[in-house]
Amino acid sequence: MDILYLIKPGEILLKKENQREFIRRLVKELRMRLGEIPVRIEEFPGRFFLFADQAHAERIEFVLSHCPGLNGFARSRLCHKSYEDILNAALAEAAERVSENKRSFKVEARRSDKSFPLGSYDLSAKLGEEILNAQSSLHVDVHKPDFVVNIEIRERAYVYSQSIPGPRGLPTGSSAKLLLLLSGGIDSPVAGYMMALRGSPIECIHFHSYPYTSREAQEKVEKLALALTAWCGHTRIWMLPFTEVQMAIKRSAPEETSTLMFRSAMMEAAGLLAERIGAKALVTGESLGQVASQTAEAMALTQAPLSIPVFRPLVGLDKEQTVGMATKIGTFELSTLPYEDCCVLFSPPHPLLKPDLKEGKNLYDSLGLRPLIEESLNKAEKLKFNYRDIR
Amino acid sequence: MNPKENVYLDWAATSPPDKQILEECLERSCHSYGNPSSVHDKGKEARALLEEARITLAKAVENRIAAESERQGAKAKGKIVFTGSGTEADQIPLLSVLKTALCKPLGLKECHIVVSAIEHPAVFAQAKRLEQLGIALSVVNPETDGRLLPEKIQTAIRPQTRLVAVMAVNNETGAVQDIGEIGRAVQEAGKVLGSKDISFHVDCVQALGKLEISLDPVLVGSAAFSAHKIGGPRGVGALWVSKSMEALCAGGGQEGGLRSGTENLFGAMAFATCAARAVKNLAERLDRARSLEAALMEGIRQIPGALILPECRRPGDRLFSPWILSAAFPGLGGEVLARALSDQGIAVSTGSACSHLERKKGHRVLDAMGTAPELSFSSIRISTGDATEPRDIEQFLSICADLYRRLKT
Repeated sequence: MDILYLIKPGEILLKKENQREFIRRLVKELRMRLGEIPVRIEEFPGRFFLFADQAHAERIEFVLSHCPGLNGFARSRLCHKSYEDILNAALAEAAERVSENKRSFKVEARRSDKSFPLGSYDLSAKLGEEILNAQSSLHVDVHKPDFVVNIEIRERAYVYSQSIPGPRGLPTGSSAKLLLLLSGGIDSPVAGYMMALRGSPIECIHFHSYPYTSREAQEKVEKLALALTAWCGHTRIWMLPFTEVQMAIKRSAPEETSTLMFRSAMMEAAGLLAERIGAKALVTGESLGQVASQTAEAMALTQAPLSIPVFRPLVGLDKEQTVGMATKIGTFELSTLPYEDCCVLFSPPHPLLKPDLKEGKNLYDSLGLRPLIEESLNKAEKLKFNYRDIR
Repeated sequence: MNPKENVYLDWAATSPPDKQILEECLERSCHSYGNPSSVHDKGKEARALLEEARITLAKAVENRIAAESERQGAKAKGKIVFTGSGTEADQIPLLSVLKTALCKPLGLKECHIVVSAIEHPAVFAQAKRLEQLGIALSVVNPETDGRLLPEKIQTAIRPQTRLVAVMAVNNETGAVQDIGEIGRAVQEAGKVLGSKDISFHVDCVQALGKLEISLDPVLVGSAAFSAHKIGGPRGVGALWVSKSMEALCAGGGQEGGLRSGTENLFGAMAFATCAARAVKNLAERLDRARSLEAALMEGIRQIPGALILPECRRPGDRLFSPWILSAAFPGLGGEVLARALSDQGIAVSTGSACSHLERKKGHRVLDAMGTAPELSFSSIRISTGDATEPRDIEQFLSICADLYRRLKT
């Protein structure tokens, strides 16, 4: 095992009594995601160390940069706690960065082993001077350096200069399982990603109205679910055939209410599925005021059939912010493939914006959709996506 | 689920290839592998085959095959230029306008083109691109029956007009244009305005081997054809030119300088052979197509709610190609119906197959005819070919009626 990653867990360090439990989950999740790759993970207070072979570096870095609960990681040099060894490692790091055309640097030493003869400040200054002597193209910039040579003197000494951010958040499995209403749009995958970072395992539910919507639209949703796997570890998607429900609404509900009735039915179906699979809340990509069915009044009505909470992590974001996140997590390109997840024949030209809750609930109840929803759940197709499938 | 039918009613998109012709031509072209531009014997051998294909195709598109037996050696009216597709054959004359305009002192400002609103994207999108580049463009709308009035085309012509493009047969509705009359209108406008060099380009992709084509070299400057609509291979088209033309794209100067690139001998031979065969028995084949058309139209009329587009079209109508029919199923998206039919093994399309690659799906052709949006939205195109049997039409009608009844919203 010739390479070493120094891993920085994040939020879990703030936990007190149950920190051990969070750490156990994080390590378990890391091992699951690394799969067959042979690694040695060492846990120390505030740091993990992962030893592996160079051949697996790319996959390991993918895992570390996508695993919730990690604030960041760095490929690190391991050395004895002697000044000579540390100096050689620091010079080697600096030379590598210089070869990448980096120009300015600083040295930051941290010393949890106070028996080391040099203090943090003295060590930083001394190493800085040596690096300057060795690399004539470099200069020191303590405010905005191109790179930082980090020295950590702990049980051993570690030297690194290239930190890669992690996704932050909590390790998968430390919060309750959630059910994400996944459409083919830009928002819902982002909502799923955000909740995955809160440590929730995510399952997805998708409603299609084949043949009014295309198989391509379903395939697109499958691709989105797979892309989410990078963050939430593994997921399942439940494909519900909702054509009959949609047709019943189109037949019986006033046109302007049809979108709200349809969304209420989706919520009801998702609530029933959540109960069956043990999900404790639903997740949607709704953002306040984005479309007619995402006003506060509409949300009150569409969540009325539920007895579990609905998490809407995007509720306060605008479209641009969501698009930015979708691009970052790699779902934007998939979401913008040209396959509609709803047929225009089912979209009223003038949907109701501010439904009256009581009236709306009465109307919804009068539609008597439960048997059709149950039937749809029974016919649902279930697809599993594993972490190893990604990439 | 019922066993899937296998009914192909999308011949206007592409036709099943004629395997025998393709294999024969592939064999011959593999044997004569030389570059037709080479001076050695292998090159000359390939050149001879290519020129033979050129003559065969010219005869087919100029309707000289039937006349051959009576009058040997009827004189060719135009030249065939082999291209890489029907689209490319449409692009060459349009881009030639750009080339000519750029070489004139006033450049693009003194240049105007006229196209019909129902052209295939090969012409329409290219014309729009020229407009972006600064060439003035007039788009002429058809009447509600899909026909273009020659006088409307004439009115659109200006002293700066360099090219008029009108298709012979519309790929979505089957509407047939009176190319002779439109050509005369263009010529007359040219005389009145004192401009001699208005070129008239005709997209004949849906016409070759399907209807009688009359290419009068006095009226028509160029015409575009495609091989794969008549059993030939993809990747081969042809441009027929009766007047001199300058190409925008340059290269090795093959095909009279209009389409540079080493010639596709296999494609050219297969195209020519398929075209010759298609025009040979055209009269009988047309009779057959008309009878299928009648059955199809009658059947659609009996489906409650369904309509033929345009509504004025009647079976046997000479103003429409019997091979192409547009029908509307109000209350059901055309795309949805096509998808549901596909699940039952029946292939039809919505509008032009090419337009499905465009992100925003419009119904440009039907919209231009003033068709109500709810009808164009719910339209499908049914197109037949030589292998279509009356049984296929019956299968389509019965399954389509059933799906429409069940899926209509």
